[in-house]
Amino acid sequence: MAPIPGSGLAKGLAVTLRTMTRKSHTAQYPDVQPDLPPRTRGVIGLFEENCTVCMLCARECPDWCIYIDSHKETLPATAPGGRERSRNVLDRFAIDFALCMYCGICIEVCPFDALFWSPEFEYAETDIHELTHERDKLREWMWTVPEPPALDPGAEEPKELAAARKTAEKLAAAEAAQADPAAEAARATGTGDVTPSAPGTGGPGQQPPAEGGTA
Amino acid sequence: MNDVLDVALRLLVVFAVFLVLPLVIGQTEHKVMAHMQGRLGPMYAGGFHGWAQLVADGVKFAQKEDVVPANADRRVFQLAPAIALLPYLLVLVAIPVGPGEGAVGEVVDAGIFFVLAVMGVGVLGSLMAGWASANKFSLLGGLRTAAQLLAYELPMLLAAASVAMAAGTVSLPGIVDAFEWWWLPWQITGALVFFVAGLAELQRPPFDMPVADSEIIFGAYTEYTGLRFALFLLAEYAGIVVLCGLTTVLFLGGWHGPFGAEGLGWVWTLLKTAVLAFVVIWLRVSYPRLREDQLQKLAWTTLVPLALAQIALTGVVKVVIQ
Amino acid sequence: MTLAAGHGFLSPTGVEIAFLLVGIVTLGAAVITVTTKQLVHAALWLVVALGGLAVEYLLLTAEFIAWVQVLIYVGSVVVLLLFGLMLTRAPIGRSPDADSGNRPAALAVAVAAAAALIWVVIDAFRATWIDLDGPAQGSTKVSGAILFRHWVLPFEALSVLLLAALVGAIVLSRRDREREGGN
Repeated sequence: MAPIPGSGLAKGLAVTLRTMTRKSHTAQYPDVQPDLPPRTRGVIGLFEENCTVCMLCARECPDWCIYIDSHKETLPATAPGGRERSRNVLDRFAIDFALCMYCGICIEVCPFDALFWSPEFEYAETDIHELTHERDKLREWMWTVPEPPALDPGAEEPKELAAARKTAEKLAAAEAAQADPAAEAARATGTGDVTPSAPGTGGPGQQPPAEGGTA
Repeated sequence: MNDVLDVALRLLVVFAVFLVLPLVIGQTEHKVMAHMQGRLGPMYAGGFHGWAQLVADGVKFAQKEDVVPANADRRVFQLAPAIALLPYLLVLVAIPVGPGEGAVGEVVDAGIFFVLAVMGVGVLGSLMAGWASANKFSLLGGLRTAAQLLAYELPMLLAAASVAMAAGTVSLPGIVDAFEWWWLPWQITGALVFFVAGLAELQRPPFDMPVADSEIIFGAYTEYTGLRFALFLLAEYAGIVVLCGLTTVLFLGGWHGPFGAEGLGWVWTLLKTAVLAFVVIWLRVSYPRLREDQLQKLAWTTLVPLALAQIALTGVVKVVIQ
Repeated sequence: MTLAAGHGFLSPTGVEIAFLLVGIVTLGAAVITVTTKQLVHAALWLVVALGGLAVEYLLLTAEFIAWVQVLIYVGSVVVLLLFGLMLTRAPIGRSPDADSGNRPAALAVAVAAAAALIWVVIDAFRATWIDLDGPAQGSTKVSGAILFRHWVLPFEALSVLLLAALVGAIVLSRRDREREGGN
């Protein structure tokens, strides 16, 4: 059972020779763009229409790399005799990518879906100050946020859709109780709104791609 | 006057070969090593698959500052690269590539001894560099170089002596002239010993303990920069050319080939040399570095006895034939 | 070798001039070897001296001897010397403490040895001249024939001496190891 002396040496040579005849794995990056997975953490985009200046992201950021300035505006009462409403207006939103460590906590904590990951990564600068992206630049990154991936075929329905369908079904049932002949048609339209293709555009990132499309 | 022109022309050709072939081997090493590791290697310099990478490297080396450490022995330090490089140029002069007077730089009567003697001098360059750098890693590298040289010079000599015995001459063209195909199996042990010992003398992986970068930085060459460092590198690749050429001439029959003996002999020599150079690169990629004690053990307990056995075999066969 | 008929000292040939110049360089390197205060430089100057000797052999058409000189002395002995120096002490710069008080004695021995050698050589060869134009008298073939025909006894004696040294070295190193194993 003892191996032939020198067979190990021969095996070593064989391995390298075999590797030489195969295709190499080098990614020729500047010539060929990398094929990045959709959830790549490249840069953070700000969908500022959704931002309420709640400051959660800035507070949770481990690196303190998010800078937010805002002021309060008072809106006159909409109805006579109503109360005045106050509203936060965003003055500045900046992320210093020289400090950012791409943990993604800001995106996780944002309760209003205003922050998104984009796979863009070619934003190196010669001056470190230019790595602080201001709100307009962060807004620009939104155009590059990809559509969220479709749910798994067997996945649970998104909650919003489930709730909507429940109401629709209830409504349909109520209608069916009133008029039997119309029941079938009503149910068909009710379920048609929640066909499995719908969840694809559901989810947290629903609005940005709808507005911006894919870059 | 014609003689002078002839000699000058020969030396010029040898010099051109000396400058070009090491670069070719270096580039081949870049590419072969890369592909053996699943990479592409240099791709940009020169446009087509990075063919001009070594030219670019040379330009870079030439631009670098030539630093001599403050505590170094200036003159020895500066002289060392030349000592390391020149012997290989001299050896190349004596290696015949084809039959006849026209295909060798200069016919040397005691060719084998000339070649081995001058190659041994080249290692003095590493020793000088190691000592003169005033750096403990360099000194360690120099020590290891010396120890390795002492160990591997002997088997190399013995293997060469065996083939000289077989041919009954010590001149390199004479040996190739006397070559018959059945020398290949007859001298195979000697060929292996010669090749392995030569690799060790060149400090090529897996025998690169003297320059083991993971423990003594770069051995004797640690303190070198710029052109002088480039000269050491050139010496290494010129050494590969010389070793492969010598192995071809001594053991593989030089310009003898299955066909095309007339006029195409030099192609055979170059082809065999190229294949051997590929093997040198291949070994570098495949094997890990030998430890210092393994190095010494291999030389003294394996190669020397093998070489002696080869000499005995050569002697016996030689007597039987006569 | 022929007698010096037709050879004069006043009309030297190119080879003779080269021989003389290389001889001077060799002598100079040898003197520096023993007088320099830097240990490793001494070893490197020794390389120059031995190399010069090899060139002298070459000029005398003794090609084989020349290459063996380079192979053995420059390639191995000097490397061994440098190896020893590096292992023990090889400071960069002068090492005055390496100077012993034996200079006069060493000088005396050197002069005596040189005188003896010169006397022997002159007495042995007188004014014989090597014919450089004829067939090489120091080629491998000639050297081999002389060595194994006329001088085979000294050759064998030397071999036995070297073998004895080799065996002695092996015995010494093995005894050391056994002692270590015993303890």
